[in-house]
Amino acid sequence: MKRLVPTGEMTTGPFFPREFAAGANDLTVLDGQQVEGEKIEIRGRVVQGDGKPLDNLVLEIWQADPSGRYDTPDFLGWGRAATDASGIYVFRTVKPGSADGRSAHVNFLILSSGLMRQLQTVMFFEESGDPVFLSVEKSVRHRLVAKRQGANRYVFDIRLRGGEETPFFDD
Amino acid sequence: MRYQIDPRPKDTQSQGVEPGYAYTAQRWPSRALQRRPLTVSELSGPQAVLRRLATVRGDLAGSGEKRALGQLIHIRARIVDEDGAPVPGAVVEIWHCNAAGKYIHPNDTNDAPPDPNFYGAARVVAGDGGLVELRTIKPGAYPVRDGTSWWRPPHIHFSVWGRVWLSRLVTQMFFPGEPLNASDVILNAIRDPAARSRCIATLLPTTQGPANALVFDYQIVVRGRKASASMP
Repeated sequence: MKRLVPTGEMTTGPFFPREFAAGANDLTVLDGQQVEGEKIEIRGRVVQGDGKPLDNLVLEIWQADPSGRYDTPDFLGWGRAATDASGIYVFRTVKPGSADGRSAHVNFLILSSGLMRQLQTVMFFEESGDPVFLSVEKSVRHRLVAKRQGANRYVFDIRLRGGEETPFFDD
Repeated sequence: MRYQIDPRPKDTQSQGVEPGYAYTAQRWPSRALQRRPLTVSELSGPQAVLRRLATVRGDLAGSGEKRALGQLIHIRARIVDEDGAPVPGAVVEIWHCNAAGKYIHPNDTNDAPPDPNFYGAARVVAGDGGLVELRTIKPGAYPVRDGTSWWRPPHIHFSVWGRVWLSRLVTQMFFPGEPLNASDVILNAIRDPAARSRCIATLLPTTQGPANALVFDYQIVVRGRKASASMP
């Protein structure tokens, strides 16, 4: 069969509608119902090469449910947030489980003006033997581990470019 | 159905830092992106995004006294995967500026008038044949406010969910015959001429479609294809 080439990705530009970016960052509620699991908050600050925070940058996440399963009827596992003028984003979710040789993790996708393509990275809760974690160069893989802050909050800052640059994937 | 994702031909995608688009040099990573082992985590995806994001506004043009200003157009975009198989149920977000080149976004400082009858954001779902249809008005061109003389040609933004997480696609659709296409930094970041021309919609003959609107055909290919039973 003839294979088609995927369409070229292009930037969201600076005017991704606020309406699209709003109201989808709480994964703990689905169809008005509370979902099962340990509720956590993931937040962070996104900066560019010169350290300046990015406003209206869109982050989407994809994760397993607490038992490590994806896309179950009781937990969607997908959410979207946008940064504010200080570059801060926030998700509320439940802690994903580990399964199939993967440690608990949250996939991140980043869209922004000035980003010609989506960037993909992964947040881990701790250093582990996860195959994706181990595939990242040892000297920088700690940047994929969120910092725990209090009982239920994890801080995952993202630097698009420059010193302490977050590792990104292209598959 | 198992799905597989393969690397894309390099020239069909921007390489990240584009001369002429200053922000890219601050935002694209300096380290090479790396390929990772793919597991169920990357090869699954939300099949019910609409449980979190409702459909909104399938018609941006309006009618009667509420009709948006500008040339009425119909967009017929087909969402397919790399096998050419339609992706029915694909959720598609579409946004674009008004006929004068102004977005609804509060950050748009372009000195062009808003249109009270135009709200340029829609979320729709592909039908059985992977087809998404939108009635709207043709967007205008506008200057990029970055201190250069770059003008964006008329274009429409698309955000598409394919079958799995790695199929997610955000892109822009362009119009045929626009002189600004040739100098647009974003369109020309697709270096392969054939891939670039596929980012430009096709005008259907005016003998087809409604008498009062121009119809543009477009195809969006999301990443992924059915995993072959035996790998070569």
